[in-house]
Amino acid sequence: MDLTAPAIEITALDKFYGAYHALKSINLTVAKGEKVVICGPSGSGKSTMIRCINQLEEHNAGLIRVFGTTLDDSLGSIDEIRKEVGMVFQQFNLFPHMTVLENCTLAPMLVRKISRAEAEATAMKYLEKVRIPDQAQKFPGQLSGGQQQRVAIARALCMKPEVLLFDEPTSALDPEMIAEVLDVMVTLAQEGMTMVCVTHEMGFARKVADRVIFMDNGEIVEEADPETFFTQPKNERTRLFLSQVLGH
Amino acid sequence: MTASFRKNYFGSFGSSLMTLFSLGVIGAILWALVDWGILRATFGADGTQETCQAAGGACWSVIATRWRVILFGIYPYEEQWRAGIACLVVALVIVLSCLPRLWSFGRLSMIWLIGTALFYALMRGGVFGLAAVNEQQWGGLPLTLFIFVATGVIGMPLAILLALLRRSEYRVIARVSGWIIDTIRSLPLLSILFTCAIVLPFMLPGFLIGEKLYRVLFGAALFFAAYQAEIIRGGFQGIPKGQEEAAKALGLSYVHRMTRIVLPQAFRLALPATINQFVIAFMETSLIVVVGFMELLAAGNTAFKTGEWKFAYAEVYVFIAFIYFAFVFGLSRYGAYLEARMNVGHAKD
Repeated sequence: MDLTAPAIEITALDKFYGAYHALKSINLTVAKGEKVVICGPSGSGKSTMIRCINQLEEHNAGLIRVFGTTLDDSLGSIDEIRKEVGMVFQQFNLFPHMTVLENCTLAPMLVRKISRAEAEATAMKYLEKVRIPDQAQKFPGQLSGGQQQRVAIARALCMKPEVLLFDEPTSALDPEMIAEVLDVMVTLAQEGMTMVCVTHEMGFARKVADRVIFMDNGEIVEEADPETFFTQPKNERTRLFLSQVLGH
Repeated sequence: MTASFRKNYFGSFGSSLMTLFSLGVIGAILWALVDWGILRATFGADGTQETCQAAGGACWSVIATRWRVILFGIYPYEEQWRAGIACLVVALVIVLSCLPRLWSFGRLSMIWLIGTALFYALMRGGVFGLAAVNEQQWGGLPLTLFIFVATGVIGMPLAILLALLRRSEYRVIARVSGWIIDTIRSLPLLSILFTCAIVLPFMLPGFLIGEKLYRVLFGAALFFAAYQAEIIRGGFQGIPKGQEEAAKALGLSYVHRMTRIVLPQAFRLALPATINQFVIAFMETSLIVVVGFMELLAAGNTAFKTGEWKFAYAEVYVFIAFIYFAFVFGLSRYGAYLEARMNVGHAKD
């Protein structure tokens, strides 16, 4: 890990599902501390792309580097990168057989090998940050969707990652719970966390993104700062997408 | 409560009639049992065929005089206290392993190591001045318990291994594991036991043959493992894909993903079927009589086949049934307790 290198460098990334070309020669660099929002219609490959970064999906060609560490076939590089890259999922994916606190302490204790006391102290710190320290002893099934997603964010933070990936973190939430999750994400962004966020929350993109990326059909179609992206989109497909997302 | 009771059971003339009729039938059966088993029964070791049949009820004298044959088979008579203690050791080990507060790898392995060593020392002898008793002479309840426990203890890790291999990312490994499971499942247990007891010694090199009992145990464990592996696989299928992905994203290793995330959830989902499999395994211990071991049921058969007690087979079977019932009913209730315990915090699921 070289923390002076770019957080993420993706070069000529290709991904196939059988004959289907899911990602077509993607190039993307994310600097440390940068917040990148990725949007695009469903099936455009945006989730697939960020899932390649921590190798939940294997890529077929191209280069992925995280803080200078190249993802190769060796298990070592995958482990190394997963330690530094946290992920928040659409479906929360909390472990239902463990309490909120155990969800947060498991990986730090097993992967970072820190003591239970230290892991619990860290977990409580981040549970306070996402504003649910009082739920620490409950099981995920006893929480609302918004609360579960905030726990999922805290769980990812407990590993003290350098980068956080968000894969449509608010898409599975009831409308009234979206704000509480976005608030937490805005706070994180303001504190300087490097974030790559697949989302349809255009308000969030406007507010925190340094760069907005529009993907369609497995390609990066357009990337720009939010001001330019929302007011002067260059590509026809981007304009169509924006009119559909913002038009109601 | 009383209102709904009246409505449910005496709501109409027909309903009342059915209720009373059913009560009558149940009452008659219970009365016949009590009458035979207690009121007109002969207790005590001094009962004989004549006194028993004169009384007209059950002849529990057969148990009073022959219980040691039923419980311990042909284990040497003077040494049967050892077999008795060995039974208690197994029972204690089972009870201890069922206590959630002792569920850690260290504690459980300690309990099992000490328990197995103690059981073996007691049964086999040859140490601490105990006379040696060959495995061929083991019999009755300790043998039945030993087979059951060993089947589970060897079979369960094997089942987990087979189930994990069957879902391996490497297709060859997954295929091979699937074939092994399906092959074993397509063979009757009896043929597996026969093969292990009789055919295997011809095929194995001398040093691998070992005692017949252990070969048979291995066969029973393999059979158990094939079925249990499929039960666990069913549990895997109930776990959302996101669980393993989240574990991967957190950087957990394969071993940790399996032991902390996947297997605990799979076992929770597979618990009812797993308890079922254990119940079946307990019942199937009675099959090893066919390869020459006198387990509980076979020992019971011997107990009344000695001329003077030939008439009292029903009593012996009732006695044995009670022993089976005690273990299996205990197992089922424990399963129910586990399910209730695991459901804590899952109210919304």
